[in-house]
Amino acid sequence: MFLAIKEIKHEKLRYALITGMIMLVSYLVFILSGLSSGLQTLNSAAIDTWGANAIVLNKDSQLILPQSVVAPTDVKRATAAGGAKLVQFGGLVKDSSGHKESVQTVGIDPNEFIYKDLKIETGKTITADNQVVVSDNLKVDGFKLGDTIKFANTDVSAKIVGFTKNANLNIAPVVYTTITTAQKITERPGVVNGVVFKDAKPDVSGLRTSQVYGIDEFVNALPGNSAQTMTFNFMIGFLMVIILIVITIFLYILTIQKLPNFGVLKAQGVATKYLVKNTLFQSFLIAVIGVGIAVILTTITAVILPAQVPIFISASYVAVTAVLIIVMSLLGSLIPIREIVKVDPYTMIGG
Amino acid sequence: MANLELKDVSKVYGSGVSQLTALDHVNFSAHEGETVLIVGPSGSGKTTFLTIAGGLQTPSTGEVLINGNGYSSTNKHAQSDLRLHKIGFVLQAYNLVPFLTVAEQFELVDKVKQNNMSAERFEDVLDTLGIKDLLAKYPKELSGGQRQRVAIARALYADPEYILADEPTAALDTNRSLEVMSLFNQLAHKYQKAVIVVTHDQRLEAKADKVYQIIDGKMSLLSNNIE
Repeated sequence: MFLAIKEIKHEKLRYALITGMIMLVSYLVFILSGLSSGLQTLNSAAIDTWGANAIVLNKDSQLILPQSVVAPTDVKRATAAGGAKLVQFGGLVKDSSGHKESVQTVGIDPNEFIYKDLKIETGKTITADNQVVVSDNLKVDGFKLGDTIKFANTDVSAKIVGFTKNANLNIAPVVYTTITTAQKITERPGVVNGVVFKDAKPDVSGLRTSQVYGIDEFVNALPGNSAQTMTFNFMIGFLMVIILIVITIFLYILTIQKLPNFGVLKAQGVATKYLVKNTLFQSFLIAVIGVGIAVILTTITAVILPAQVPIFISASYVAVTAVLIIVMSLLGSLIPIREIVKVDPYTMIGG
Repeated sequence: MANLELKDVSKVYGSGVSQLTALDHVNFSAHEGETVLIVGPSGSGKTTFLTIAGGLQTPSTGEVLINGNGYSSTNKHAQSDLRLHKIGFVLQAYNLVPFLTVAEQFELVDKVKQNNMSAERFEDVLDTLGIKDLLAKYPKELSGGQRQRVAIARALYADPEYILADEPTAALDTNRSLEVMSLFNQLAHKYQKAVIVVTHDQRLEAKADKVYQIIDGKMSLLSNNIE
């Protein structure tokens, strides 16, 4: 690795530019994946907190929870198998101070697991009708514990008794209330939109108009979710390909410039393997440094970005992406390496 | 006794009307402690001779022998290994790695090959070549003559049995050219190396032990000061 390190030290500007380029593209990949995860979180974080793995929905609901009405007999069968009933609808809430926010209201049954597993960050849990536990995102909008909120277009009011974390659904903060209160707001007493299960394959049979779906299938069907995830994945994929191409071009140009040196070294008996190893190590080193700086920058960016920007940096995702970028860099050095293998020392010394 | 021989070596490029005979039944030998000069005009086959003697090309016919062993018929890896251990090249250009200091040029030899010159002998070579004060400099900070002397030291450092030099005085004035040739002569005798220099510069003939002439691929012995 002697040649690789000496060359980088001597050609600081040249290698700083390549490292900087890898750093910028990696940074872009990390930020885009952070935003993708952030938006995904906004879409379905609440579902993750339920720990559900399956859901019963009406067959004709197209897997959209508010569109689904589960038949009472199906609800009975599903709850008997350990399911937790859900009522969900979107709408506006406002408090007496004039704060307004579009929310997703979720009605839950105090006897079932979603209610029991609901983690309260501040305040307490719901103990009666017309009480709500709301997403802590509403704090940013000015809602406080003890505030009475009114559901738009209805006469129903409820008191905020607690805040919970990671409660977002369909890119809106969630307001949890009792299923009775939720049905009062929708003026559809007894109507249940869905029943969720912790078990991925719940022991429920004889459903009439409903069906059991996997929770991933349900999440993918959330409005806009697939299109959004796919868009980000395509952008990240394209960036990966760009990294491969740019690194290949940079290393190719550098290698072509150095071919006479490689030719002379080969003439002097230096093994091709030694030159190839040095080139590979050089690619590895600049990729590791570039990606390393990008990880640091991404962490700083995630900290300083305003709370309104949905960014979620997952350490494991960053680690996997970083390894992938480094692998791409090594792949990018394969074509230049081919030139090193091919170079004939005879032609390089003027034969 | 170490010796490098070319036995009835020919090198033909192309075929038909474009066929060119660069070397024509060449017989040659060089022994340790000798400085052998090969003179000839441009296009006479000097570089072809050097590249075949150094194992960078294979002859069309004939055989290159190093210490009596066939060399030109071995595989590329074996030829590369032999170049690393037995042959030191001093070339016209690009002979130093531009991003390594003079000291690091020698360090590189240590990285790729063991059993190089002992520290005492290396000190002696640096003294003889007058490059002791240049160790921290990069090639671009050296004059043409200094670069050439460093390249000679680098070739010697690997402790080869043979030194093959391609137009080593091409970039030097008369005095410097004669100085470099004297140096080769001195090194050949002092360290018992066979030094083979190809050049078009006939002024150097007086400093060599043996002089061959090559014209249109045919080689002939011009003078032998050893006998």
